[in-house]
Amino acid sequence: MDENLIWEIRAFVYRHFAETTCPPHVDEIAARFALTHEQAVSAYEELHQRHAFFLKPDTHDILMANPFSGVETPFKVYANDKTYFANCAWDSFGIPAALHVDAEVEAACAQSGEPIRLSVADQQIHDSDALVHFLLPFRDWYKDLAFT
Amino acid sequence: MLFFQSEETLHEWLVAQRAPRGAVLSVPQLWELSQRWYEDRMSPQYHGRTIEQAQKIFKELRLTSEFWQTV
Repeated sequence: MDENLIWEIRAFVYRHFAETTCPPHVDEIAARFALTHEQAVSAYEELHQRHAFFLKPDTHDILMANPFSGVETPFKVYANDKTYFANCAWDSFGIPAALHVDAEVEAACAQSGEPIRLSVADQQIHDSDALVHFLLPFRDWYKDLAFT
Repeated sequence: MLFFQSEETLHEWLVAQRAPRGAVLSVPQLWELSQRWYEDRMSPQYHGRTIEQAQKIFKELRLTSEFWQTV
């Protein structure tokens, strides 16, 4: 498949997430880019292989296009009058960083369950006593991304 | 990556999960990292980054411990 087309599809997926909070279905890609279903599936698989985004196992549905999550998670980000879901604590900050917008992050302490709310305004974070723990070292991040 | 309200709850979680302590960042540190990591993510020109580029970001943010290294 044409290299430019692959990256155009990647950009479309990200725009779709930003505008709707959800990933496009593979058939939407087929229609948008005048591809067959099989060609759109092939493009998704290629972008998955390149870590541009990640598919749910044994499907052609997008699980995550960091920082966006394709499924509901405990990491909510309110921005652009929308509710986005992030993949993890880091990605919950990644959404306002990627979109360059103000945001309210709503999550919880992984141990106590106490709510953790954080605000980004004018691309500045309001300080907090909260901490973020990265479990796996960088060298292992892509071995098991969901676990990380 | 998970949020914790304090060092105390992080410690409790590590004990309960029998997990090793990884890297711990403050909220401002995480925001700084997020801005560098994701600022160009919506660009059509973003085609991913190399391990070397990732490590350059970590170094610039003074994340230089073994945790942030590739080997």
